[in-house]
Amino acid sequence: MGLLAPWFLGGLAALGVPVFVHLLRRHISIPRPVGSLMFFERGTQSSTRHRRLRYLLLFALRFALILLVILAFANPFIRRLNTASNARMLLIVVDNSFSMRVGTRFADARRLALATLAAKPRAQKAQIVVLGGQLETLTQPIDDDAQLRAALQSIQPGDGHANFGELGRYMRTLSESVRSPIDLHLFSDMQRSAMPENFADMVMPANVKLVLHSVAPSAVPPNWTIESVSAPAELSDPKDPKRSHVEAIVAGFGTPATAKTVSLVINGKVTASHKVNIPANGSAAVNFAPLNVGYGFNRCQVRIEGGDAFPADDASVFTVRRSDPERVLFVHNANDTRSPLYFGAALDAAAHASFVLQSVAAEQSTDLDPSNFAFVVLSDVPSLPSIFEHALSTYVAGGGNVLIALGTNSARNPSIPLWGGNSHDVHDYTRTGNPASIGQVDFTYPPLQQDQPGRDNGGWGDVKVLYAVPVDPGQARVAARLNDGTPLLLEKQIAEGRILLFTSGLGNLTNDLPLHPVFVAFVDHIARYLSGSDRLSGSRLVDSFVQLRSATASQAAAGAVEVIDPDGRRPLSLSEARTAQSIRLQRAGFYQIHFADGRDAVIGVNPDRRESNLQPIPPDLLTLWTGSSAAPGGQSSGFAPGASKFRNISLWWYVMLLAMVAALAQTAVASGYMGTQREEP
Amino acid sequence: MQRFLDPEVLAGISSLDLLAKTVVDGFVAGLHRSPDFGFSQEFAEYRAYTPGDDLRHVDWNLFARTERCYLKRYRGETNSQLTILLDASNSMQYTSGPPPKMDYARYIAASLFYLAIRNQRDAAGLIVFDDEVREYIRPSTRPGQLARLFAGLEHAEPRARTDFAKPLRHFQNFLHRRGIAIVISDFYESPEIIVNTIAPLRFHGNEVVLFHILDPQEIRPVIKSSSLLVDLETDQRIEVVPDYVKTTYRAKVDAHIEELRSRTLAAGMDYQLLVTNQSLDTALREYLTLRQAGN
Repeated sequence: MGLLAPWFLGGLAALGVPVFVHLLRRHISIPRPVGSLMFFERGTQSSTRHRRLRYLLLFALRFALILLVILAFANPFIRRLNTASNARMLLIVVDNSFSMRVGTRFADARRLALATLAAKPRAQKAQIVVLGGQLETLTQPIDDDAQLRAALQSIQPGDGHANFGELGRYMRTLSESVRSPIDLHLFSDMQRSAMPENFADMVMPANVKLVLHSVAPSAVPPNWTIESVSAPAELSDPKDPKRSHVEAIVAGFGTPATAKTVSLVINGKVTASHKVNIPANGSAAVNFAPLNVGYGFNRCQVRIEGGDAFPADDASVFTVRRSDPERVLFVHNANDTRSPLYFGAALDAAAHASFVLQSVAAEQSTDLDPSNFAFVVLSDVPSLPSIFEHALSTYVAGGGNVLIALGTNSARNPSIPLWGGNSHDVHDYTRTGNPASIGQVDFTYPPLQQDQPGRDNGGWGDVKVLYAVPVDPGQARVAARLNDGTPLLLEKQIAEGRILLFTSGLGNLTNDLPLHPVFVAFVDHIARYLSGSDRLSGSRLVDSFVQLRSATASQAAAGAVEVIDPDGRRPLSLSEARTAQSIRLQRAGFYQIHFADGRDAVIGVNPDRRESNLQPIPPDLLTLWTGSSAAPGGQSSGFAPGASKFRNISLWWYVMLLAMVAALAQTAVASGYMGTQREEP
Repeated sequence: MQRFLDPEVLAGISSLDLLAKTVVDGFVAGLHRSPDFGFSQEFAEYRAYTPGDDLRHVDWNLFARTERCYLKRYRGETNSQLTILLDASNSMQYTSGPPPKMDYARYIAASLFYLAIRNQRDAAGLIVFDDEVREYIRPSTRPGQLARLFAGLEHAEPRARTDFAKPLRHFQNFLHRRGIAIVISDFYESPEIIVNTIAPLRFHGNEVVLFHILDPQEIRPVIKSSSLLVDLETDQRIEVVPDYVKTTYRAKVDAHIEELRSRTLAAGMDYQLLVTNQSLDTALREYLTLRQAGN
């Protein structure tokens, strides 16, 4: 038994208050009148010893209340021996991110983790967690050393990007369920790029003692890497100088100025090599053109020859699919020539895919089969021939995609073909003379995707919309809105297919979007999105997801998908292959995917290039991080099993509970004493 | 009817007129027929003439036979004069429970006035005093006298201190006829001074009665702990301990009462201790006894 804040006992002087109120103060209470003092003589008690306390129960309750409050502030505690069941939990976190492949970092981390586990008391519970692209718990808190050791030994170096903010969030969640103190031992190369943007994200909760085990050498080795590769995912003509080329950026971290040989490897054969001068700690671009690839999927790689301290990041893989140009059906009003012109020009200008636009008037679409086209565009068509509309419905249900653009003709026919809704009104901003602008853009939506949109709303902020048709979004996803809240771009999933609705036109009569550069990127993205080619080839980052089937597709109608990872294994089980809607690309290399709709894809997967920067977190930041936990840690590599033989159990809560009871009883008793005495009638 | 003489019951009656009527009627109805008390025109006695006696009361027939001069007296015809001296000092407002001493004194005075004027056809007057004479109502039997006396009692609110000397001097100036003088007070003064001050009233042949009004708590006070007491007249404060009150105080009060009684009787006056929780018939009986005795 002890007190955590004994200086609060000075407050015991306040106990004199009830004594004064009940004993001393009563002495000067209300004087009693008498007719005459003729027969009285003065008599004073020599001490308070002879005086009687009145309201003894009230006095006792008040005394107890003050005593308990003071005691609560002094924070009494009792010491209990740490038993095995309530001892500190040991949490071993091993970083297996891509940068741990450098040298012997991962092996060192695992060896240190095993040593820490061996030093643990037998009864202490421990948990093994892997910090890679995602945080994975390999075990529950258990005291089975064999199982814990096996879990540690099963950890392999990964290709993901570690984030200490993720660790901080996990610990905050864990501390809500685990009340006992936690000793967190982190085995990592303490890469600076693993820090979150906000330091507060990685701060540990109060009951966590963080012990860091850095496995990075003090000297940072120079490292060159392929920072990025820009190559067409689809290519129809290798001799097309506009598209048939590859541009790679080679960057160095902590490197001197040097010359490096960079090669382009296609299907295992080096097709071109260039020598490039890379400045110190700088980057340089390398171009390979033309891109001579055969029909089908071509597994390509840009790599730096010669090697360095981190050879795993010297290559970047991607896939180029060569095919004949795909046709796009553009159905428009007979007298509308502007929208096919603008849309076709933007489609031609797009660099990443090759499409041929086939524009027809709505009246001539009767005999067309939509399944022969990559996707279909309906531009300001208030009505369609019924045969063609039925064919389009079937096409969408089978997985086809349609872009519907509304225009001035929508005012004549409020029904929107295929979409299933009506337009009740039109917004003609020319009447007010104040055109609308695009106020809200969802840049996570694939057709509008931009990594870092600028202040002009990614180029959309300058677009003026003169005419728009307000549509009730219902269940549809709204990707962009005008500044008055009118939805501009909506997507609705129907069976296997998608319908995109652009509530303004694709010509320059209803808006000036076609006159802005963002229109080309928009058309390019939307063409790739609707044709599905963006998920068939190209490159992705580790830990990104690929959608295998739509969420609304029925499992009975959909077939199984097949995924083969870079190691040639199938990561999905048979049941997962029939039900999984997406897959996370965990490994670097080429993934082969056979989708449920029968299409094949080969995707190159590269690690996050932030892992190539091996610069560690400065020591002062590490000190700040460990100091943010409850107990001051330090970069000690040893484990102190006897550090907390006893633990203090605070009685604050119980004492305050008693004080509250005393306060309530005091109130009840005092109100009984002090209540107004009513005269009996 | 006896319960109408209980002071606690009377405290609920606000009108002095009604109160006095209730008390006196209740008192008279409760009396047994007695040869000592009656209100007829029957012959009572002969009394030798003394200089100053009214010659109209001389029995001339007897004088003719015996050549002695006697006065003929009849029962109920012997009109007397009642004067009440009411102490209205601050100490009279003390109470430990209804009624206060002042109210109790008012009840007594009102009942005596009613008995004197309505039943005995005596003249009645009132002197209200504290340290000086605050009100003087000349004794009279005129119509409306009773109402004036009651009004005088109503206005007699306690204030200031007691001083017997000045009001008694004043009383002597106006006293030209023998009668009964009743002094109602709590007599917080030395018995010697009280008796010396009041005794001259007898020189004119008055019967003097001292009604000593005290609260039960003034005779046997009870305090549980050390208390601060305040004198209602002087506002003086002293702290008193329970032991003193239990022993010394009681002895002093008893000695004071006894000394006052003995000195009063020795001076030819009557003394009656009236405690405010006693019924009022003691005072009325005392008055009738005195009146019967020789006035």
